[in-house]
Amino acid sequence: MRSIPYAGQIRGVVFVAALASLPSFNLAHWSINIAVFTLMFAVMSSAWNLFGGFTGYPSLGHAAFFGIGAYTLGLWFEHHAVTTGYEPFLMLPLVGLFAGLIGVVLGAIALRTRADVFAIVTITLLFVVQTLAFNLRGLTHGAQGLALPIPPFAAATFERPFYYVLVALLAATMAITYLTMRSKLGLSLAAVRADEDKARGVGVRTLGVKLLTFSVSVGITAMVGGIWAYYESFIYPQFAIDPLITIGMVLMTFLGGRGTLWGPVIGALILETAQQTLAYELGGSEYYLIAYALVFLLVMLLMPQGIVPSIQSVVRRRRRRAVVDAPGPPPSASSSDRTDVLTRDAVVVEGPR
Amino acid sequence: MAALLEVEGLAKTFGSLRAVDGASLAVEPHSITALIGPNGSGKTTLFNLITGYLSPDSGHVRFDGRDVTGANPGRLYRRGLSRTFQQARVFPQLTVQENLTVAAGYSWAQLFGRRMSAADRERVARLLEEFRMAHVADLFASELSYGQRKLLEFAAVLMSSPKLVLLDEPTAGVNPVMIATMEQHIRERHAAGVTFLIVEHDMPVVMRLCDPVVVLDQGREIFTGPPQAVQTNPLVLDAYLGA
Ligand SMILES: Nc1ncnc2c1ncn2[C@@H]1O[C@H](COP(=O)(O)OP(=O)(O)O)[C@@H](O)[C@H]1O
Ligand SMILES: [Mg+2]
Repeated sequence: MRSIPYAGQIRGVVFVAALASLPSFNLAHWSINIAVFTLMFAVMSSAWNLFGGFTGYPSLGHAAFFGIGAYTLGLWFEHHAVTTGYEPFLMLPLVGLFAGLIGVVLGAIALRTRADVFAIVTITLLFVVQTLAFNLRGLTHGAQGLALPIPPFAAATFERPFYYVLVALLAATMAITYLTMRSKLGLSLAAVRADEDKARGVGVRTLGVKLLTFSVSVGITAMVGGIWAYYESFIYPQFAIDPLITIGMVLMTFLGGRGTLWGPVIGALILETAQQTLAYELGGSEYYLIAYALVFLLVMLLMPQGIVPSIQSVVRRRRRRAVVDAPGPPPSASSSDRTDVLTRDAVVVEGPR
Repeated sequence: MAALLEVEGLAKTFGSLRAVDGASLAVEPHSITALIGPNGSGKTTLFNLITGYLSPDSGHVRFDGRDVTGANPGRLYRRGLSRTFQQARVFPQLTVQENLTVAAGYSWAQLFGRRMSAADRERVARLLEEFRMAHVADLFASELSYGQRKLLEFAAVLMSSPKLVLLDEPTAGVNPVMIATMEQHIRERHAAGVTFLIVEHDMPVVMRLCDPVVVLDQGREIFTGPPQAVQTNPLVLDAYLGA
């Protein structure tokens, strides 16, 4: 079955190349604007998945780090000039590092809780950070909002730098996800997700691997926050730290399939383009939210594991039938393409595909 | 010779229930020590206290010459103290091979190495050969029978090359053939130098396999001695018959 070597890598490179070539089709501003937001969510749901999908911890606090990234970048460029327009992008790794360090500290506290308690602790964190953004007026200017330098890019191709930076960040996030799945780190995370107490008892460094992935996950989320802030040029606490951002990340990951490489990306492509397009079509009304919810509910009812795992299990069943129908001796149980497990519905965390 | 494991006056209460009430015992190196006692006498709780899953209200645990009272389970595991659970616990969404690999107690640096290296595969293959489970290597643990899962859990805790293995009812809920298989694997590993402390309800198994036998009743040991003496000891008979 594994006839094409490096199939996974080739798929990844083709996908990134396709994304990178999109702007050369001279799309209308509104559609490239949708593409920018879709990419933001593709990166963020991939980042959420890296922690929430692989460990099973339901983090609802990721939007707090999106806001931390937005404000960090905004505050830095209150005191630093932007000339070429690319300086804010060069600052992004530092923004990610800063948020990642905050993530280590907050994670060390929050990760002592689990499941529903963890969800509550992290959503509380979100509201604490939002309250701080509203009330530390000397720093954030509170509800008045914070202005960032206007990006000095040509109007005709204004979105392109943002778009390309997001493609690069998506490629990096997917590469990190891919490498995680192939490493013992990924194996450890899968053990944590399956039975954390048992994992602790067989020497898996449960707290360490959770903290590491949490910190990377929120660091990437903060970088997207920084890009968003620069793109918008003006940020308000209620939009920079918005529960809907967390909810978007979670829904997209669930829709596409938790603990998979492609699931969060596919989830973001479907939900974010659907949402943006519906919002555009239906105008200022809030009806698009209902349509959005319906898309989500329909898919989750039909495929509770998410899109990617459901397709994987169908493919496996097909292959098994093909193997059974084929003439010759039956395959041995230990054959490497796992023909015996084709009937499994929920393949959760395993090798990358 | 100093005991490999020494438990001294260990106590744990749940609310008003004294689950373990000043229990003491010693496991000599190279022994297969049995821990028996009526249901609810505190055997599993004692295992949880020894392996760091629970911290005791009072008392001490010494393992391999060190005080390890209340140490964390992962550290004890890497130092050579492994345990299995009464209800077999494996990682259902991982394959049999991965279940073994993940239990190898690897270092921080190895975390960034391959999910299963060639060396892992080789080591896992040898262990699966020993346990005659090579044919299920690529199945998910969720697809194994309960008996096979118990066997897998036992095999997995051997990945860290432990000095002492605590087995909580290794033969409970499995068929007679699997009981014999389990017994044989314990013997083989014992011959290879591993020490065992086993909670076991099946008395014929205890009589064949274990020496000495420690009897626990209401959270306290009431007898320690050779298996032949257990069944005639009046204290033990009282405990089991509830006199
Ligand atoms: N986590 C717990 N909380 C409350 N009571 C417990 C807990 N674990 C065990 N017990 C109680 O402690 C007593 C000893 O249980 P256990 O150690 O499982 O006995 P055994 O393994 O000898 O059958 C039982 O009465 C049991 O109900
Ligand atoms: Mg028990």
